[in-house]
Amino acid sequence: MLPLDDVIVPDSPQSLAEVVAACHGDGTPLYTLGGQTMLGYGVWPRRPGHGLSLEKLSGVVDYAARDLTITVGAGTPLVELDSLLAEENQRLPVDVPDRDRATVGGLVATNLCGPRRYRFGTMRDYVIGFSAVDGLGATFRGGGRVVKNAAGYNMTRLMTGSLGTLGVLTEVTLMVRPMAETTAMLAADLPSLDLAAKLLAELPASKTLPAAVELLLGDVWSQQSGLEPWPPETTARLIVAFEDADPDVRWMVEQLESQWSKAGVRVMQRVGNEDAESLWKNLATTIPPGAATADNTHCVVQVGVPPGSTVDIAARLKQIDPGVAIQAHAGNGVVRGRLTAEAARLRAMLVDEIRPATEMAGGHAVVLSAPPEAELDVGGVWGPPPSGMSIMRSIKDRFDPKHLLNPGRFVFG
Amino acid sequence: MRCLGPARPRLANARFGDLATARNKGSYMATTKTTTTPLVRDLRRLLGTKRVLYAPADLLVYECDGFTIEKNRPDAVVFPQSTEEVAEIVLICNRHDVPIVARGAGTSLAGGCLPIEGGVVVMLTQMKRVVEVNTADRYAVVEAGTPNVLLDRALVGTGLHYAPDPSSATASTIGGNVATNAGGPHTLKYGVTANHVIGLEAVAADGSILRIGPAEEPPGLDLIGLIVGSEGTLAIVTKIWIKLTPNPDSFRTMRAVFESVDDATNAISDIIGAGIVPAAMELMDRGILDAVEEAFEFGFPADAEAIVVIEVDGPAAGLDRQQEQIIDFCNKHRAREVLQAATAEERTLLWKCRKLAVGAVGRLSPSYIIQDGVVPRTQLPRILRRISEISKKHDVRIVNVAHAGDGNVHPILLFDERDRDQVDRVLQASRELLSECIDCGGSVTAEHGVGVEKLHFMDRLFTSADLDAMRRVREAFNPNACFGRGKKIPDDISSGEPGGGDRAAAI
Repeated sequence: MLPLDDVIVPDSPQSLAEVVAACHGDGTPLYTLGGQTMLGYGVWPRRPGHGLSLEKLSGVVDYAARDLTITVGAGTPLVELDSLLAEENQRLPVDVPDRDRATVGGLVATNLCGPRRYRFGTMRDYVIGFSAVDGLGATFRGGGRVVKNAAGYNMTRLMTGSLGTLGVLTEVTLMVRPMAETTAMLAADLPSLDLAAKLLAELPASKTLPAAVELLLGDVWSQQSGLEPWPPETTARLIVAFEDADPDVRWMVEQLESQWSKAGVRVMQRVGNEDAESLWKNLATTIPPGAATADNTHCVVQVGVPPGSTVDIAARLKQIDPGVAIQAHAGNGVVRGRLTAEAARLRAMLVDEIRPATEMAGGHAVVLSAPPEAELDVGGVWGPPPSGMSIMRSIKDRFDPKHLLNPGRFVFG
Repeated sequence: MRCLGPARPRLANARFGDLATARNKGSYMATTKTTTTPLVRDLRRLLGTKRVLYAPADLLVYECDGFTIEKNRPDAVVFPQSTEEVAEIVLICNRHDVPIVARGAGTSLAGGCLPIEGGVVVMLTQMKRVVEVNTADRYAVVEAGTPNVLLDRALVGTGLHYAPDPSSATASTIGGNVATNAGGPHTLKYGVTANHVIGLEAVAADGSILRIGPAEEPPGLDLIGLIVGSEGTLAIVTKIWIKLTPNPDSFRTMRAVFESVDDATNAISDIIGAGIVPAAMELMDRGILDAVEEAFEFGFPADAEAIVVIEVDGPAAGLDRQQEQIIDFCNKHRAREVLQAATAEERTLLWKCRKLAVGAVGRLSPSYIIQDGVVPRTQLPRILRRISEISKKHDVRIVNVAHAGDGNVHPILLFDERDRDQVDRVLQASRELLSECIDCGGSVTAEHGVGVEKLHFMDRLFTSADLDAMRRVREAFNPNACFGRGKKIPDDISSGEPGGGDRAAAI
């Protein structure tokens, strides 16, 4: 858990800026709190400080529904955003667990997302503007309210995924999308990973445009309700989901079914709109990325490799930790694994086995959550310093010179 | 304000209206004796004699890009062939304390390639290899100087394409696309360059080489996101990993003919508002249609006030219904007719007309300025009405093309640069229509960039705190200010009324 002395709840961006300025003055760390669903993400921090809750910076500032843009307070829970957007038949197609607690600001700060990134991208593709308070207490904005904008640097990209270490977001403008008309998911239970690799390689030839391409290994999926349990001979389950206009979805389902049946695969499930929401929810929460709970006994690692190496790296993870449960966003080469190794062995497993394997495949691995007893430091969680680290540090020093915003948690240490 | 290092003396810039003089200056200089400086000697030691230009006559072409209103001569132009050579060049320039400007095809329209303080222009045009096309993982690796058209050719037969399609694609380079975060007609559905770059190799200001991506979710800050669209002011991009997009199964390309621009923009606004996302939705008004018709004889009705080219793509199964919905919205707004391109040739010609429309304007007037404004999409009717009023008020002929689905307008102002009075009116009209974009809640550039052209609008779009945050980013990348001083964001050599007000006038 965070080393919080107390929690401050500013009721306006101005009072938030005053709090940050005061903390900059006396050198007190600040831990930004949104829905507190991702507190386990990053290095476990040690420096005591104030919690800075954004719960009062919540709600819609401006919803230009016909422009497909919306501006909300950073503390707005996603569930509220979702229901506002749904009234206009629109949505933010980014998968997040705990939508009832997770906030827009937290989502931007962590930039973690799920299966639908394959078709719809990540938060980086949706944040078009923001307002924030830097580590000195100065308020600044970036971007704007138009969907295409070349004026100034792309500050929205800088803030997205910076884990609140450059500034505290107070307001976010998002581009949103029309709701999809129809959803369908096809699942195939596969006896071998070779077959998974073959189906993945053939997928482009089906001419379909999936919303998500998910490969699941291990016991994780069978623990989640929503789809029927795995037959015993199954090694992996491949799920391809479509979201589009109704005729498109029907056509794509036919295409893929025909491709899969030619490959001798029986299509296990076919789901219409009724079950779609719960299935997406299950897929988003299969391996919760950064939950910090008292019984946080598992380490979740996320690997990024070229998509063609997805199956290989999944197989390698299974060799390294036979009990691993894997959810791979296979079309993106993003592989999440919930390891079963004991805390004491985690560090060595990461450093000696997982990272060399991912680096060999041209990728990297970060830890999304780990038991505190594993005592992972910056290198343990984030891996070796990424290319451009000195520039990143230099940016950090200019936005938060005393390193008071979420100190210790991100790559800066 | 932070000081970005010692101010360098600016060479005399050609003032607006002195374009002829600038050319003469070049040819005059060419006849004078050329001496090699220590900088040039170091560059020649690295690259040999053929890949270093320094004779004034040879430097003329590099005085400006598509923004011709302000020019300045670089001290040297170099043609590296590898990332390592670019890194060496940066080190040499740092040693001699001269600024560096990266340049591709020079098609940019905002002065991004202007060597504002002289220095060295790094031409990336000899780095134009398509290094890899990976169809399985759907990406390609290209050197920065690769022209879009070469990449397109390399992708023929793969069933994949690079989605951003700037109208300059026959000449422009992928590196240039990255610098300006270029768009094009199909960004409506497929997004701009930033949505398609998954990895970069770039040379930083200290001569070190950055390699980021292409695997997704690298740890740390999103440096790729910052570098794309930074107009060469943060690093010199030398190699790019780009995402490839599957070719659509089918297209329907339509042209809707309207009796008024208002009807056309209202139809567009309704289509977007209804949640339909066509692949492209491009507006051409009557003025531009005249030029296009003269150039290509497509057969557009001579009395139409506006034509909207609308393309939907995807699985053939869904296209009929999308097309019907679109036609309904067009008819609701009194479209005279909505015709579908009957053959692939007709579609190609329709897109050719749209993409070469700006060039065709040369038939209408000796000079023109193409503007790049963007407004929230629902404000499209308003901005086009205001553009028409501004045109009348200043007695300046303005014709319009627009990536209408994105709210991105490209008004083209026609004039004769020899007539100072016309020039003044054109500049005034440009200023007013961009101000109007800001008042509509938009921005003064969607895809052409700020360069030097739009700098004086930055403090209207952003507060000093916003600009200060951007300056901090630039300093972090670029502590010795070797890239892009006086561009992209106002600084100590660009803010205020630079050039005695001429820069401000040079819209």
